[in-house]
Amino acid sequence: MAAPLVADRRKTAARLTALSVAVVVVFCALAVAFWYFQVIESATYARLAENNHLRRLSLRAPRGVLFDRSGQLLVENREAFTISILREHSANLDETIRLLATVTGVTQEDIRETIRRHRGEPSYRPIVVIDDATLAQVSAVLARRLDRELPGVVVESVPTRRYPAVGLGAHVLGYVGEIGETQMAAEGLRSGSVVGQSGFEKAYNKILMGQDGERRVMVNSVGREITTLDEVPASEGRRVRLTIDRDLQQAAEDAYHALGYEGAAVILDPRNGEVLALVSLPAYDPNDFASGIDRATWNQLNTDRLRPLQNRAIQGRYSPGSTFKAVVAVAALEEGVITPDFKVTCRGGATFFGRFFKCHLKGGHGTVDLRHAIEKSCNTYFYTVGNMVGVDRLHKWAAALGLAGRTGVDLPNESESIVPSTAWKKARTGEKWYAGETISVSIGQGQVSVTPIALATLYAAVGNGGIHFPPRLLKAVNDGSGWREIEPPAPRGVRLKPETIAAVHDGFWMVVNGAGTGGRARVAGHDVAGKTGTAQVISLQGGRAAAGRTEMDLRDHGWFAFFAPRDNPEIAGVVFAEHGEHGSSAAPIARHVIETYFAKKAGAAAYPVFTPPPGMGVSAAAPPAPSGGVADR
Amino acid sequence: MFERRLYVHMDWLLLGAVYLLCAIGVVMIYSASGGSRLYLTQLAAIALGTVALLVCLGLDYRSLADRSHLIYGAIVLLLVYVLFFGVVRGGGRRWIALPLFNLQPSEFMKIGLALVLARLFGDSRHRTPDARDLAVGGALTALPLLLIARQPDLGTAATLVPVLLAMAFVAGMRLKVAGILLALAVVAAPVVWSVGLQDYQKGRVLTFVNPSRDPLGAGYQQLQARITVGSGGLLGKGFMKGTQGQQGFLPVAHNDFIFSVLAEEHGFVGVLSVLGLYAFVVLRTIETARLARDRLGTLLVIGALASFTFQVLYNVSMSAGLAPVKGLTLPLMSYGGSSVIATLAGIGLILNVRMRRFTN
Repeated sequence: MAAPLVADRRKTAARLTALSVAVVVVFCALAVAFWYFQVIESATYARLAENNHLRRLSLRAPRGVLFDRSGQLLVENREAFTISILREHSANLDETIRLLATVTGVTQEDIRETIRRHRGEPSYRPIVVIDDATLAQVSAVLARRLDRELPGVVVESVPTRRYPAVGLGAHVLGYVGEIGETQMAAEGLRSGSVVGQSGFEKAYNKILMGQDGERRVMVNSVGREITTLDEVPASEGRRVRLTIDRDLQQAAEDAYHALGYEGAAVILDPRNGEVLALVSLPAYDPNDFASGIDRATWNQLNTDRLRPLQNRAIQGRYSPGSTFKAVVAVAALEEGVITPDFKVTCRGGATFFGRFFKCHLKGGHGTVDLRHAIEKSCNTYFYTVGNMVGVDRLHKWAAALGLAGRTGVDLPNESESIVPSTAWKKARTGEKWYAGETISVSIGQGQVSVTPIALATLYAAVGNGGIHFPPRLLKAVNDGSGWREIEPPAPRGVRLKPETIAAVHDGFWMVVNGAGTGGRARVAGHDVAGKTGTAQVISLQGGRAAAGRTEMDLRDHGWFAFFAPRDNPEIAGVVFAEHGEHGSSAAPIARHVIETYFAKKAGAAAYPVFTPPPGMGVSAAAPPAPSGGVADR
Repeated sequence: MFERRLYVHMDWLLLGAVYLLCAIGVVMIYSASGGSRLYLTQLAAIALGTVALLVCLGLDYRSLADRSHLIYGAIVLLLVYVLFFGVVRGGGRRWIALPLFNLQPSEFMKIGLALVLARLFGDSRHRTPDARDLAVGGALTALPLLLIARQPDLGTAATLVPVLLAMAFVAGMRLKVAGILLALAVVAAPVVWSVGLQDYQKGRVLTFVNPSRDPLGAGYQQLQARITVGSGGLLGKGFMKGTQGQQGFLPVAHNDFIFSVLAEEHGFVGVLSVLGLYAFVVLRTIETARLARDRLGTLLVIGALASFTFQVLYNVSMSAGLAPVKGLTLPLMSYGGSSVIATLAGIGLILNVRMRRFTN
């Protein structure tokens, strides 16, 4: 009995030892596994844990506030609410979307589409599904228990652009929008950044943008914020003063609206190139873009036949018509081709190279010198002189006075103005220039095609005696330590001979104050000098003009280019009235701007009210006030 | 009952390790539940468990074994009762409502089974359990196992299997038989899979094999457990400073995932310390089995140890994402009254056997 007992005991002991060994091995294996996770791979898991509970919230920097030249507010910021979804905290995204759509009244498809667009981004980055949520939407969302019913839904307040005077100077100011894919790469900015997409907002986006801040918060497993760990506050973009004079801008737009014209106007300070007003009509409301434009509005703006998004002042190209005669006169005098006393007899036109070119006055102007030719806008005189000067010298002087090419204004996407030359035609078409073509060019028709801002630069140059400055909109920047004026750009052009200046200025003065076509721009006590012009729509657009166009569309455009006062001008510019038929229809707009300028300079308490000339205008303009007219959105 | 002799032979080291683990558990529960009052409930459970321990300690294990069929039968009846009248919580009908807390009879089944199997194998006239012994043992195991699995509580049901296997092994079951049983299990696995498992249970297994199958659902817990453990690093994030456990990224942190919380807040150092304590408890208990004065004592100790060890190893693996998520507590540390009481009662049995190794 003893032997089996001992054997049995030994067997049991062996099996217990085997168990002990097994236990030790398994415990050691577990220890090794924990060592691997907690020591070797610990950094990886620490990062994953951090992604779990740390959320980086971007604090959008307010863009710099824009003021006009004297400190009147042009663009500011307001607080808008956005509603975003954080996918990583939304365990059941479909359910979240469904409930969010129900409480906010946005369709599920719209929310899904937005999320689809951003699906490539890391899931801890919030996707904004509702921009500029209404208070009703915000309170509807906040009324839900965000941790249970709407996990991963975040309501944030973000600074958003506000353009208090709806549409005023829309094309100067431009608009902002969410950064596009290509811009992101080019400018090294993050997805979701709001950047200037046109106008001044785009041109000076870098200084306006400011530095986004960041807040690191600790969140729990359903995304609710527990504590703020640290915060780098956003720093606002630079405050900026534009050269724009809000009152002149308002005056110009008022006059357009009163007359019912679309078009463009550029008003400059000829002494330094500062843009005092820049109008392009029809305009749009930049507020529509401020927190993401909706598709319907965007489509409508893009398909509108009147092209409201185009900045006609720097992108529209039109034939300058008789306003181009300034180039012919200056070129002829400076090249010594004629003297101011050079006379031509106009019998209602003249024949060049076997073809008869009409003057606009059927009976002819009789015998006129340069001054009177300008005053009466005699085509025959300028055909003759232009022919004598030749197209290349016309081009040379147009370029010298800032009319050819780009003016270099600090706005994006300026178009080139074209004043042809033999070389230009050769390069473009491979054909030689026919002398007969110069005749049309001499009265601003044919191949000449210029932007309003280039023409304004030309008249600033002519008023200034040949010297001119690239137009610019940036006047001063406040980097937080006070306003710093921007250095004016280097002057360009050539100083004209005194007799050239005297003759040309006399001619332009007579256009307005004599028996010329610009009488509607006369301002008592201020020697306005200027020139009307007509841009022919039919010749410009050729055969395709007729189809599908109304009678209004076929009417010629009217120009009025000016500087004032005649000697040492302080203001110069161009008013372009689309389908205004003749320059005399643009002149009243110019007059109103000039009047307002001088009234403001004299310190008037109230600025003049625009009164359309007899037989013009669609309605009386609203009475302007020196600093009023700010429409609340 | 409490003779001085018994007092002298009391295993104070084992007892100390056990209560140290309980204490660590209370501290971790306090942290994992964000400083709520849950730890007070746990302290009360430990107090009750101490009473159970003293009872199991006080009665001679031989007389307990003599009545093992009564104890076993009573618990089986409770399990049947639970199936019909139990309290439903978290998808299972597992609890009997009592005034202070809910009693989970399945936790006590482990001891009942250990007792009844110890008597079966210990009293066997053959030194090596024969086929009849194994068949009876298998039946005694299968009955409560099926009852518990019906609740359904597959985790607790599974803990009964190691009790049978370990006891049969130590009792001297022939290894050939063990091999045959293993082969049978492999054959039976697909059948169990298709008819025995519910969808959510299948899901857990599938997700364990491939956690990215469902990163926000079942795989989420496994992934978060791994992150919790890994981010603890060598020294841990500090008491109550664990971001994973504190911010709810880990489900039932104070219960099934208490070890993950420990790993996060006290790092690899804390893990090694607690693993060391558990290993000590297990090895010390095996030592007790060796020292037992009779075969019954040896088997009883192994029976009590088997479910304990199985649960420790499984829970620790699960807390690092190394095993499918299953509602298995970490004995002594996890929050849960029945678990603590039953475990301490089992410890009481182990101490009982060691204490009486010289008595007749």
